[in-house]
Amino acid sequence: MINPDLQALITTLEMAALTTIILLVIGTPLAWYLAKMTSRFKVIIEAVVALPLVLPPTVLGFYLLIAFSPEHLPGQLWQQTTGQQLAFSFSAIVIGSVLYSLPFVVQPLQKAFEQLGDSLLEAGALLGAGPIDRFFSIVLPLTKASFITAASLGFAHTVGEFGIILMIGGNIPGETRVLSIALFDHVEAFDYARAHIISISLLIASMILLASIYLLNLPKKQSVLKHKKTGQH
Amino acid sequence: MNTLNLAFTIDYANFDFSINERLDLQGIIGIYGHSGSGKSTLLRAIAGLETKLSGKISFDNEVLTCSKDKTFVKAENRRVGLVFQNSRLFPHLTVVENLKFAAKRCKNSKLKLDDVLQLTQLQPLKGQLITELSGGQQQRVALARAILAEPRLLLLDEPLSALDKASKKTLLQLILTVQKQLNIPILYVSHSLDELQQVCDQMLVLEQGRALTYGNIHQVIHQLNNSNNSLMHQQTSLALPIKNHDNGHGLAVLELNDQQELFMPCEHIPDVIITHKPSPTQPLVRCFILASELSICLTEPTNSSIVNHFIGTISQIEIQQNQVLVTVNCGEQPFFVTISAFSQQKLALQVKQQVYLQCKAGAVRTFIH
Repeated sequence: MINPDLQALITTLEMAALTTIILLVIGTPLAWYLAKMTSRFKVIIEAVVALPLVLPPTVLGFYLLIAFSPEHLPGQLWQQTTGQQLAFSFSAIVIGSVLYSLPFVVQPLQKAFEQLGDSLLEAGALLGAGPIDRFFSIVLPLTKASFITAASLGFAHTVGEFGIILMIGGNIPGETRVLSIALFDHVEAFDYARAHIISISLLIASMILLASIYLLNLPKKQSVLKHKKTGQH
Repeated sequence: MNTLNLAFTIDYANFDFSINERLDLQGIIGIYGHSGSGKSTLLRAIAGLETKLSGKISFDNEVLTCSKDKTFVKAENRRVGLVFQNSRLFPHLTVVENLKFAAKRCKNSKLKLDDVLQLTQLQPLKGQLITELSGGQQQRVALARAILAEPRLLLLDEPLSALDKASKKTLLQLILTVQKQLNIPILYVSHSLDELQQVCDQMLVLEQGRALTYGNIHQVIHQLNNSNNSLMHQQTSLALPIKNHDNGHGLAVLELNDQQELFMPCEHIPDVIITHKPSPTQPLVRCFILASELSICLTEPTNSSIVNHFIGTISQIEIQQNQVLVTVNCGEQPFFVTISAFSQQKLALQVKQQVYLQCKAGAVRTFIH
């Protein structure tokens, strides 16, 4: 039998990885749309995207719990399509995480797209590059750092979730029992030694991740210097 | 010869643009106007970067935009190149990668990358990052990149405005060489008449979102003299055959007509002498003389240090506040002279009167000088 904490780690990583992928797929077009949008409704969409930053996770969790129950439409549709209950499932915590971590992915991407502007994209179009070509050959390389930041923040924030998972996922080992829930369990059972192991591991991992993001976002000086050096050879 | 038909309007909240012109695309066509006249808007519309326009743009028989039929050929499918004022090179790519970006997306390409690198003298810079280049070098890369997309029409939007004198000269000569060697029709936007006078055969003048006039560059410049255009220096635009590159005293001799010559400093003659299509064997020097630098004498000024003097007949006298604009024809060449109202009163000049014009050699200018 696998160690329960290791199992929780695996569930956490699976949840965070899947959430990050979904967030990048949904968040990129949403951020692009917001960056290019000039309508006055933009502020409303921005506010909705940013809501999880200020809303207590339990509030979001509470409404999602209601929505995911078989008595309500989203839960019903899910059950009809998949044959399984949505509430207290791995899928539920992934959906919850996507909503909860959305601003951490959308906001840095939106800012990057706004800063990039239209001028280089226009130049690309005039050289014969279509929209998808322009995205992969101009937008993506020039906003690479923001994509890495967005993905890292989205991932880290999902790993750190607690309230929302407790509300919609419960504490099912191998399904919804993630590290933050496991930590809470250990503290409740006064098993501080195991709580420490999880806490210090999360602390160090988060620290390394954030330091890496800041390192990545350092001014480009170093890469230019590196290029100059190689150019001399 | 290709033609570009422009018949459209664009309405913005604080600016509207309207045009109905047919441009015969040959050589370099200048588009002149002051800031806010709609020069860049026109180029953007032709390139397919302005989507909200009503009317029609067509290249020969191909409709590029037609609001009635809801036809809109996207910028990436128009094969129209545009070099912007601020180059817009891709900063994540090196010089050669920027060029390859264009070459890779060009269908049925005929130009070779190495040939374009050589033509634009970019061989030594090809591995460099864009951020390491000077403004002039960046514009050269932008021009090379636009050429490699092999456009059927090249648009240049104030390509020299951000450059220093030396870079301006190099790039202008490069534009001329490119046009001649590759035979791409070019629309050249600028608010500098000197620049346009040096390279364009035809010119379209825009003012406050409307086309004011279109035609032969020299004739259009002369028309502008009479239009009370306060921001323009009134001038005589010339394209004259060169008789002698140096008369031994640092002066070049140009042929004004069978009997008369015009002297100008040798260093004012551009390195690339612009030739006119009808007489490719006989190079013509494009130059201009500001109306304020010409003066009128009633008798031949033979005892003067001023080297240029030639006889002509007054064809028009126009009083403009305290100044008088006098048009004097020397053969077929009109000259424009501004004198004070006081001088006019003193000399009592009249139409059809024969007079002598004079100006120093240094007053015969070309681009930059």
